[in-house]
Amino acid sequence: MSQEREVSQEMQNAFVDGQLDAADWTALVERMGSDEALRRKVCELRTLKDMVRGAYADARPRRAAPAANRRGWARVAGLALVFALAGWLVHEATDRSHAVAELHGVAANGIVVHVASSRGEVVDTALQEVEDYLHDARAAGRKVRVEIVANQTGIDILRTDKSAYSTRLERLRAAYPNLTYIACNQTADRLREKGVAVRLLPGVHVAPTALDEIVKRMQQGWLYIRA
Amino acid sequence: MRGLFGVSAQFRAQVEAQREPLYRLGYSWCRDAALADDLVQEAMLRALDRGAQLNDAQRLKAWLCAILANCLKDYYRRERPLDPLDDEMPSGGDSPETASASSQLAARVRAEVGRLPLGQRQVVTLVDLEGFSYAEVGQILEVPIGTVMSRLCRAREALRARLIDFAAGQNNKIRSIR
Repeated sequence: MSQEREVSQEMQNAFVDGQLDAADWTALVERMGSDEALRRKVCELRTLKDMVRGAYADARPRRAAPAANRRGWARVAGLALVFALAGWLVHEATDRSHAVAELHGVAANGIVVHVASSRGEVVDTALQEVEDYLHDARAAGRKVRVEIVANQTGIDILRTDKSAYSTRLERLRAAYPNLTYIACNQTADRLREKGVAVRLLPGVHVAPTALDEIVKRMQQGWLYIRA
Repeated sequence: MRGLFGVSAQFRAQVEAQREPLYRLGYSWCRDAALADDLVQEAMLRALDRGAQLNDAQRLKAWLCAILANCLKDYYRRERPLDPLDDEMPSGGDSPETASASSQLAARVRAEVGRLPLGQRQVVTLVDLEGFSYAEVGQILEVPIGTVMSRLCRAREALRARLIDFAAGQNNKIRSIR
């Protein structure tokens, strides 16, 4: 590092961030011994770094997972949730019968379908697959439970003023009492904080968070499928 | 749609252990506590869903941060037509005026970090809050290391201009109290 050249801002930053190799670090330390302006700049950068770190030191999730769920995260794998279900609902419509047939072989206590988007292709596919699955299970005399858990923009499908699927959802629920709809309260709260009045379709249940509900169901031996 | 495949209890516990650092980053990026909760939740679900894709367990934290960055990118793509990456943001979220005296400096710093363009905000918080190397930040944000360094320079220069005098004033106040 030349004594004559000004030390670049990139080098100064790399110094305070511990990103310089030994030779450059030593050269910059030596330079600081005789360059008061450089010392001051480096000191300011260190101060800024400490200020940023300190400013977020107390930032904590508002909805940390409850203790039971924290244990549950560790227990989930113990429930043998490794299902040979490569691609239920991944398949295109032409493969649907095959995909659903694959699902029939899975010994899950229930299925939780996570809908985090209100995009038509996502919701249409999810609802079609759920309906096919419930229909086939009934025809085969199998008792199954299915939950559709909606968060983020996916919650819109469960809102009275937003849902383009209210009739279809109501028809499905009437036909299959073993189908439940769950809205994420965290997402609803976020909308309320923005001044949005969140009104849910009749019969929709609310969970503290989508994550909590999904982990709870996985603990109970349900299969998780993401739309 | 994908099922959830063979991730171990240890992996799940490791993911859960990163909830707070992820939230801290998410909050610093989006400046909205509730949205940060949502983004972290989404990132953790994606991580569970894609656990098998992580080849190097040592990179778990960086991998999760990359997922979180993608969750935020997806959110902006859905919710806002313009990419906010290079836009200077208006001061928002934390208000220095409403902060208590003891937290005034922290609130002011958060407000100024929040005003940085998203790309700069992400770089400075990944480096300062979580101690990632420049190379790791480049991998997380999928940008060259030179971009990481230039964004960091611009971010720190902006923060220096807005905060150093304020910080000095706060220090003087604290000394006078003592």
